[in-house]
Amino acid sequence: MKSRFIVTPILCTGCRTCELACSFTHAKDGKVGRSRIYPLNGGFKDLYVPVVCLQCEDPACVKSCLVDAIYFNENTGAYEINTEICVRCMACVAACPFGCSLFDTQQNLVIKCDLCGGDPVCAHFCPTKALTYKSIAV
Amino acid sequence: MVTVTINGKLVRAKEGEMLLAVLRREKIDIPALCHHEAVEPYGACRLCMVEITRKEWDGWKNMVTSCLYPVADGLIIQTHTTDLIELRKTILDLYLARCPNTPEIQDLAAQYGVMQTSYEQVADPNDCILCGLCTRICDRMGFSAISAVNRGHGREIAPPLKNAPPDCVGCLACALNCPTNYIKYTDIGHTREIWGRKFELLRDAKTGQLTITKEFAEYLSKHRVIPQDYFDLNDESHRKETALSLGKIAIWSREVPQ
Amino acid sequence: MKIVSPKQLEQLAAEYKKTADRHKKMVIVCCGTGCLANGAQKIVDAFAECLSRRKVKDFTVEAVKKTGCHGFCEQGPLVVIEPQGTFYTKVKPKDIETIIEKSIENDEVIEKFLFTNPKDGRKIEKYPDVPFFSHQHRIALRNLGKIAPFDIREYIAVDGYKALAKVLTTMTPDQVIDEITKSELRGRGGGGFSAGKKWRTCRNVPSDVHYVICNGDEGDPGAFMDRSIMEGDPHSVLEGMMICAFAVGAKQGYIYVRDEYPLAVIHLQKAIADCEEHGLLGDKILGADFSFSIRIARGAGAFVCGESSALMRSVAGEVGEPRAKYIHSVIKGLYDQPTVLNNVETFVNVPVIINHGADWFRKIGVPKNSGTKVFSLVGKVRNTGLIEVAMGTTMREIIYDIGGGIIDGRPFKGVQTGGPSGGCLPESKLDLPVDFDSLTEAGSMMGSGGMIVMDDKTCMVDVARYFLQFLVSESCGKCVPCREGLYQLHKLTIKICEGNGTEVDIEKMEKLSQQIVVGSLCGLGKSGPNPLLSTIKYYRDEYLAHIRDKKCPAGVCRNLITYRVIPELCTGCLACITACAYHAITGQKKEPHVINQDLCEKCGACVAVCKHDAIEVS
Ligand SMILES: Cc1cc2nc3c(=O)[nH]c(=O)nc-3n(C[C@H](O)[C@H](O)[C@H](O)COP(=O)(O)O)c2cc1C
Ligand code: SF4
Ligand code: SF4
Ligand code: SF4
Ligand code: SF4
Ligand code: FES
Repeated sequence: MKSRFIVTPILCTGCRTCELACSFTHAKDGKVGRSRIYPLNGGFKDLYVPVVCLQCEDPACVKSCLVDAIYFNENTGAYEINTEICVRCMACVAACPFGCSLFDTQQNLVIKCDLCGGDPVCAHFCPTKALTYKSIAV
Repeated sequence: MVTVTINGKLVRAKEGEMLLAVLRREKIDIPALCHHEAVEPYGACRLCMVEITRKEWDGWKNMVTSCLYPVADGLIIQTHTTDLIELRKTILDLYLARCPNTPEIQDLAAQYGVMQTSYEQVADPNDCILCGLCTRICDRMGFSAISAVNRGHGREIAPPLKNAPPDCVGCLACALNCPTNYIKYTDIGHTREIWGRKFELLRDAKTGQLTITKEFAEYLSKHRVIPQDYFDLNDESHRKETALSLGKIAIWSREVPQ
Repeated sequence: MKIVSPKQLEQLAAEYKKTADRHKKMVIVCCGTGCLANGAQKIVDAFAECLSRRKVKDFTVEAVKKTGCHGFCEQGPLVVIEPQGTFYTKVKPKDIETIIEKSIENDEVIEKFLFTNPKDGRKIEKYPDVPFFSHQHRIALRNLGKIAPFDIREYIAVDGYKALAKVLTTMTPDQVIDEITKSELRGRGGGGFSAGKKWRTCRNVPSDVHYVICNGDEGDPGAFMDRSIMEGDPHSVLEGMMICAFAVGAKQGYIYVRDEYPLAVIHLQKAIADCEEHGLLGDKILGADFSFSIRIARGAGAFVCGESSALMRSVAGEVGEPRAKYIHSVIKGLYDQPTVLNNVETFVNVPVIINHGADWFRKIGVPKNSGTKVFSLVGKVRNTGLIEVAMGTTMREIIYDIGGGIIDGRPFKGVQTGGPSGGCLPESKLDLPVDFDSLTEAGSMMGSGGMIVMDDKTCMVDVARYFLQFLVSESCGKCVPCREGLYQLHKLTIKICEGNGTEVDIEKMEKLSQQIVVGSLCGLGKSGPNPLLSTIKYYRDEYLAHIRDKKCPAGVCRNLITYRVIPELCTGCLACITACAYHAITGQKKEPHVINQDLCEKCGACVAVCKHDAIEVS
């Protein structure tokens, strides 16, 4: 059993609560972080899709990182960036085909979704349950 | 797990991890200018020195650089004795003689009450503190485009023969991690210049925003097996594309598990 | 030819001894680097040439032997006639004919080539009677000047590889280590760490791979003992390393040779090749279950490469920079494997200890400092050169008995030991026994054995300045206290030498030195302030004279001295006028000259040319 984000786009209103939740959860030294999740237009009027890291099987970000700053967290199932190791070369930002590794200019850090330690806060805050985080059989 | 005593407080730590990591975790303010987690500890700035002892050492003490001292059970550590503060003051004083106009050094020195160097300033100062982070990070990335040249006081960081470095890919890792921002680079138009070499910056096919250099992308495609076309878009356009394609599937299936 | 058993080695030794003894007379020509520079090769050639023309009874060119350095380079080229031991100095190629005629065909001694004792002007005939040699106790230098370094047979003839055979047949590795430990042999490279303890630690590290490295980097200015040994007796070095390898379980050894020593490399390479051919290196050495090979690594040409961690990085092909670590290289050294690093001289002592026993060795020297130490004695002594004395010999014996006292009978002022890491000791320390502990206690160091004697014309502030300058340029520049701290110390000494110092500067230097000692990463920085601290300690008055009176008592520091012609002594010979590159001297022939102080650059050229001592420095 693995846990995955379950996204139901027709329920998503594009309210950006998940974005806020993410930013505040990832505040560091009093500075609000940049969100790792973005509800973006899905090509039709009023259709929104929250885009967030897929935690790929063979992630491009990991392959692109020359200093091995991105590692798999066994406990959460997330690929996380060790920001102490990251040298901000932007390789992963450029390499991720889903655009889910990004640069936070405020905190001066390269960031990606870390599943909030196994219990993503964004999913909790989604008012319409368009975004949930559940165990599924894969 | 082992237990050590830091400034009188018992602290648990992983055996073999470096003392500096433990001090940082304990939020003990200890200056360290040549340390970065991406590279092996180096021990050049000597600011992170602490005093260690053990019960069985009978009062004998030793001063070690915490960035490369592995913790072991029973270690007793002091981080701010008068001797250590004096040592840090002297080091910062010496740094100020070399880099009198460097804000990062001025600030750190001021924290230790050193406002001005008591030594002779070098004739033609620059901001490089010779921490070696740039070269070590560049080595770690696998490029080794720059290195420390000359011995002694004349040591400096430079590309081979001071020419445009052939192995550089313009990733900026050196410049962004330089503690004193000594390494200069410019991004003008879609040209990046660093170490006297020019690079073409890739542009997002949709918005024209700049991403990494062509050389860096080519390196990653070749050595890290990342499809070249991944680099056609920047992260923002990639996200938009992702939303559009997932949107299509959603309309088609009405429900999409990601 | 492969030697497959200790027995066969013994037979060979007997055979080679006979060959070596077959000549009624032998001529030994010193071909150490010093003598070669003085033209020793020409002497050898002259012998060959002369003997090709003239037939001499019972003597052929084969009896002319090229050996390694005798240590008395200053008197070279040296020629010794054996077995009489007649000792000729400063021989020229044109003298060879005479030597053959008089000293070889007839047993005459040629007075004019004999060494004149500078003390009393008497001629000394025999090699062992020359005071320079008679006060020495040669163990590490035992074969220097006796055997031809290029010929393994000569080494075998003087019981070479006998200790190896003994170890392989009758001892276990633990017994070897016990013996070395018992002998209290301490590392001769400077630190004086117990060799036995080091070997034991290395052996006890569980690992498939152990390494043995010989440190022949010898970067101290003026030191050349390791060079002479590697050039003049390379097999002793190899044998010592082999015994060590057997003891710690190493299969691979390296000799790290300073880049400036090409001759040492050639001699060592030849010795290694000969050993491989004779089955003394390679698999199953002397038929025993012991395999070992040795490679030569060329130094990277920096003083700091002699430091253990820098040396090991350099051997591994990385930048020769010290690496800070709190795991000793004995445990995690070359390629992160347990590694024994010892100095050339340390290894050379090993075969002797095995042959004669630890107890014998311990009787030489003083407690805890057993054996002997080689020094290169240079500076203002009458006899300079390479010397070996028992530990605990006093500085006075070395300088006055072996060195023959100070040149021109001037007063002794100080002696600098230990090179850039050591310190200067004053007259009051002349009776100090020379051993690791006494020197350290007095604020100096054994170092690798440089010994520079200074007379009253040496300025101690200038000496400190000189060593600091050396260190500033030789520091690797990695860590701050050493790179910046020594630089500032150097600047401060310059300031004092120029007469701009204040008393606060002395305090400042002492304080900074202390921080450099605790703060530096490697031994270079940690011991770097020693020359300064020891001169401040023993010659503070001289510092104060520079600061308070703006005077350099020794007449060295340019800014603090003036050159003046003493009119009563000047004969008006014009010599100084011609010598002065700055046109600062004027005067008519046969009239006293005058120096224009505004133009004088204080280069001292006039003093050097004045035959009448009419120029005074004050
Ligand atoms: C800056 C520096 C230079 C050194 N140079 C030499 C050298 O030239 N030769 C040498 O044998 N040891 C040198 N050493 C000492 C070595 O690091 C090491 O202690 C020694 O080779 C160990 O051998 P030993 O125990 O036989 O003395 C140097 C040490 C330092 C710190
Ligand atoms: S930006 Fe950081 S995490 Fe991304 S590839 Fe570079 S070093 Fe690795
Ligand atoms: S920009 Fe060039 S020199 Fe700097 S880290 Fe990247 S490759 Fe190395
Ligand atoms: S350029 Fe910057 S990173 Fe490189 S050595 Fe100098 S201070 Fe350190
Ligand atoms: S003490 Fe000097 S030589 Fe040693 S590492 Fe530091 S800078 Fe280099
Ligand atoms: S961080 Fe610079 S010496 Fe430890």
